[in-house]
Amino acid sequence: MNAISIQNINKHFYDPVEFQVLKDISFDVKKGEFVSIIGKSGSGKSTLLYLLSTMDTKYNGNIAINGTQVTGLSQNELAKFRNEQIGFVFQFHFLLPEFTVLDNVMLPALKLNKRTKDEIEAEAIESLHLLGLKGNELKKASKISGGQQQRVAIARALINSPSIIMGDEPTGNLDSKNTNIVFDVFKELAKERGQTIIAVTHDDEFADNCDRIIELSDGKLIRQ
Amino acid sequence: MNTNQKIAKVHLTSRFRQLLVAILSVCFGISMYIAMNSFMAGVNNIQTEITFSSMSHIKIYNDLSEEITPIIPIPKNSNTVLMVNNARNIQYTQGIKNADAIKNELLNLPEIKGVALQLNEKIFIRNGVSNTSASLSGIETVNENKLFETAKYIVEGNLSELDKRSDGIILGVGLAQTIGVKTGNTISVSTSEGISKTFKIIGLLESGSKGADRTRALISIQTARQLFSKNKSYATDILVNTYDYNNASEVAEKVRKLTDYKVESWQEGNGQLVSSSLLRDILAIAVSLTILIVAGFGIYNIMNMTVNEKIKEIAILKAMGFNGKDVIEIFLTQSVAIGLIGGLVGLFLGNMIVQMLDIVPFKIASHNTLPVVYNAKDYILAFSFGTIITLIAGYLPSRKASKVDPVEILRG
Repeated sequence: MNAISIQNINKHFYDPVEFQVLKDISFDVKKGEFVSIIGKSGSGKSTLLYLLSTMDTKYNGNIAINGTQVTGLSQNELAKFRNEQIGFVFQFHFLLPEFTVLDNVMLPALKLNKRTKDEIEAEAIESLHLLGLKGNELKKASKISGGQQQRVAIARALINSPSIIMGDEPTGNLDSKNTNIVFDVFKELAKERGQTIIAVTHDDEFADNCDRIIELSDGKLIRQ
Repeated sequence: MNTNQKIAKVHLTSRFRQLLVAILSVCFGISMYIAMNSFMAGVNNIQTEITFSSMSHIKIYNDLSEEITPIIPIPKNSNTVLMVNNARNIQYTQGIKNADAIKNELLNLPEIKGVALQLNEKIFIRNGVSNTSASLSGIETVNENKLFETAKYIVEGNLSELDKRSDGIILGVGLAQTIGVKTGNTISVSTSEGISKTFKIIGLLESGSKGADRTRALISIQTARQLFSKNKSYATDILVNTYDYNNASEVAEKVRKLTDYKVESWQEGNGQLVSSSLLRDILAIAVSLTILIVAGFGIYNIMNMTVNEKIKEIAILKAMGFNGKDVIEIFLTQSVAIGLIGGLVGLFLGNMIVQMLDIVPFKIASHNTLPVVYNAKDYILAFSFGTIITLIAGYLPSRKASKVDPVEILRG
């Protein structure tokens, strides 16, 4: 079964003028693959990622994730689906600044509400330790460094053991040392836990080390 | 506490100053609502008290019949011309001859609290060279006091003295001043029929109404009957008080079946009192609701700002799988918390303001401080209006937050 399967995706922007960002894109991603999407600015790679993320629903075509057809689901169903199946890592880490590091990691699992709070907390702490954040659990998210914040965001993305992790330039804001840490974590997740990883990136080195590269140019798929 | 409420709590407590301002605005609105309404109710009560210090709820008197009975029957034959010039409506009887009988019947009605007979006539008072006209009331002192608490307004002397001395008279303070007399002086009273009698001033009356105090004189009803040569049960007015003055019209309707004399409830003769009390109520409610609504705008503003500030966080929450309903819950919980805390503090503050008004010195009628009323209904209404308004004011920004498109925000 494919982790992601998309067919004939077309998307238009209407503001300020009509413009077709994605032109008839189809591809499949296998389970456990580490895929990066590359392309020049404006090639539509971020737009494609947000379509895959189920947050953007204004497109023509068909998207299925883990065998579930997500095209046509309601916003509330999609929110629930994201909560269970998809983890996000953004370029600008986007933590909730007023919450502690630990709370930030725990929130998606508390929302899912399938385990007790103690279980979630134990897992969150373990995950933070694995990512080298021991001792920072009770700090406010706004009080730690950028590289640390990005790792907290990864821990948060992992907490519900999603089958797919999506990254929008997850290393775009990091120095080479932190980039390597993030890359290694992703690689390990794909290999050992069988989680599918899709990341939009500008970083050629990052892309070259992935299992597979999908390249877009002017909204068209030119390599997969 | 579920996850959404926990997020709401963190949002609230992380910005203490904004929380304080929001709570204060609700608190202010609710306390002003309570203060305004308690004060207005106090003013209305005083107004009623002053009004009924000289006026009864229902008055029965001998009035000119409204229908004029034709002197000559209208001829049936069309060839006959009827000519009556200058027909007049003449009153054949004066006053109520059998007042005691009517009084006993009235006292049997369960709605009636008390009945007092009065004999009112115009008189002329003379003291040496100074003289003036006055309206003399012959009263049943005990019943009169039951109805109007007259004794409370006697500033010198004693109301019950009137029963003990058949030559005793109590004058309004203004009246005494006009003719230049003091307690203990004697004055001469003459009636319109030319009868004169000497009275000794045994007390002074100050009811609070200057106009009435300048013309009023009280003697006992027995003395009055003697003075005007009337029978034992004679009175010009039967004054009736009901248990609830708002029911006076209905009770008057019942009384009309018992007697042919004119029965008039206070509402019929004093439309301006009814409408001014209603106007005061409308004004109080309008002003206090406005204050509450302004407080609502304050909350709306603050919540709107919070939503704008947190728009990125809302987008992240949505990306993590929180749906629109969760986002509404998160922000609505915050405004409900503000409303409840502000409301409770407002109830206490409102009560404190009312208590402070209650000790501000102000002389009105028999009160020495500003009139206020402690009414549980005001507190309940203030609290419920306050929470409803915070709910509405909080819901609108929450709905806006729930509609945030995460893609737009996260892509920057």
